[in-house]
Amino acid sequence: MLIKTVDLWKTYTVGTETIHAVQGVSVEIEKGEYVAIMGPSGSGKSTLMNLIGCLDSPTRGEYHLNGRRVSAMSDDELAYIRNKEIGFVFQTFNLLPRASALHNVELPLIYNGTSSGERIRKAKEALKTVDLEDRMTHRPNELSGGQRQRVALARALVNNPALILADEPTGNLDTATGAEIMELFGRLHREGNTIIIVTHERDIAIYADRIFYLRDGKVEKEEDVRHIKNSGN
Amino acid sequence: MHFLQGVMIALHSIRANKLRSFLTLLGVAIGVLTVVAVVAVIDGMNRYVAELFSSMGSSTFIVDKFGVITSQDEFFKALKRKDLTVDDLRALRKSCDLCDLIGGGTPPLDLPVKYRNDYISNCIVKGITSNYVEITDLDLDYGRSFSPEDDERNRALAVVGPDVAENLFPGLDPIGRDIKIGGYYFRIIGVGERRGSFIGINQDNWAVIPLSAYGKYFGAKETITIFARAKRPNLLQQAQDQVRLVLRARRHLKYNDPDDFSIMTSESYLSLYRNLTSMAFLVMIIISSVALVVAGIVIMNIMLVAVTERTREIGIRKAVGAKRRDILWQFLVESATITLCGGLIGIILGQLIAHSVSSLTSLPATMKLWSVVLAILVTSSAGVIFGIYPALKAARLDPIEALRYE
Repeated sequence: MLIKTVDLWKTYTVGTETIHAVQGVSVEIEKGEYVAIMGPSGSGKSTLMNLIGCLDSPTRGEYHLNGRRVSAMSDDELAYIRNKEIGFVFQTFNLLPRASALHNVELPLIYNGTSSGERIRKAKEALKTVDLEDRMTHRPNELSGGQRQRVALARALVNNPALILADEPTGNLDTATGAEIMELFGRLHREGNTIIIVTHERDIAIYADRIFYLRDGKVEKEEDVRHIKNSGN
Repeated sequence: MHFLQGVMIALHSIRANKLRSFLTLLGVAIGVLTVVAVVAVIDGMNRYVAELFSSMGSSTFIVDKFGVITSQDEFFKALKRKDLTVDDLRALRKSCDLCDLIGGGTPPLDLPVKYRNDYISNCIVKGITSNYVEITDLDLDYGRSFSPEDDERNRALAVVGPDVAENLFPGLDPIGRDIKIGGYYFRIIGVGERRGSFIGINQDNWAVIPLSAYGKYFGAKETITIFARAKRPNLLQQAQDQVRLVLRARRHLKYNDPDDFSIMTSESYLSLYRNLTSMAFLVMIIISSVALVVAGIVIMNIMLVAVTERTREIGIRKAVGAKRRDILWQFLVESATITLCGGLIGIILGQLIAHSVSSLTSLPATMKLWSVVLAILVTSSAGVIFGIYPALKAARLDPIEALRYE
């Protein structure tokens, strides 16, 4: 079991109001799975993604990632887990604007003490996986949206994480480019990576094998969509 | 994260924000420059004065009616003292066997200096004994100085400063010409070396005549200053005592009366100078350090802007695994690097200023190693101290908030 959450809660206080963004979510995701988390805005999917991505700690409940109980970890321990186990892909790409594609991909390796030669080798390899080895020296503003997202994917892959976590990865892309990126996710999944995609679009969600529908902070239903993909082919 | 990586990231962001880094650098550089230049000039001043006194020689001492006056009361008391006269000088020459040289000179006199219809204003005239030149650093450019015989025979001779020679005899040889000093003719026999000016005071506009001639023509109205040199430096104290004894006897002082004259050595002048100036110099350094504090505030301000501006970057770095201390380190190294670079630039500029000061004036303003080390220490620690708050702020950012920041 790669991911196991038990009765996960996240509660915020905004002013005098208490918001239960995630209310008792229990999910289990195996290594090598391709999962989508779907829901309308305000359904708590971003909060759930932050919890799964170890960017945030739950108010209550337990979260085990790759055999580690991460729900009670400190900030710095979470940073270590993010570095080692998780590769993020964001809707807005979140690349360092003044750094080259290569340096952006190198970034996670800087924070785990990889030597400079090894960093460059691994970063080049990751860029090759996303077919961008000829754009290494370009800065994000010299790249198209699709290329930027592929740089972000290379950055997510570079450390060989247990999990790739993508938050609306096609949200800022046109349909054709979005489809390209989703093809890339598909390929990475076939190569053995575990992928979780958070989205509000069913068209995107069905690229996955399994969809969790989220509403009001709870998992409303769970759907196996492998047959749709297969019939689509 | 490795130390060098922190430096690399910092250098990278300094390059990426050229204007901002430059302005910060400038602030720091000016701060450091001020301190370094002030210290260099003060040190130059101190060395100049020390050199001035040491040219007097360590075994020479000065007997004077007034000595060091620090208040009006003292001045009026000293005014009532008996003058030191040429007779005193003669008596000392006769009875002080521990001194190998005793001479004297009048204070600067206000006498007009003329040649035909030309005259020199603000010319300093003194009557001196022939051995005066051996004790003070009166070097001649050409001609000769007074001989003991000139002194004994009250000869109307003069040695003049280069300004006097040039102004009264432009393009002519002044040797052998007669100038009028205070209405009497004096023949020029020598011209002094050019010394330039010190803190705006011209040191080349002067004329000296033999002390005896001064007495003959103008009457011994002024008290004189007596110079004496002990035979050996280790006899300095005994020689002073001998001079004191002779003068006290001549002035009929009782055994418990204080001296009504003063004896100063180059060492005592120097320590007096240090006492008078050290506090003023300290205050000057402290005031110039205010510029450094201002530079520190500039650093803090700029780093706070940098943290706000790079909130997103901090979020990204945290998302991919940067720990708090990685972020803290990155921003600390950045502010320390900027301040250190600024400090180095300031030191170089400070050195340039010190050099131009010493080439424009006769001040030997020089860079002191300790002021350089201090400036580097102060600026880099200012970089760290004023960088801590912004860096902590960056390190404590919540990655989710930071990633969402627009």
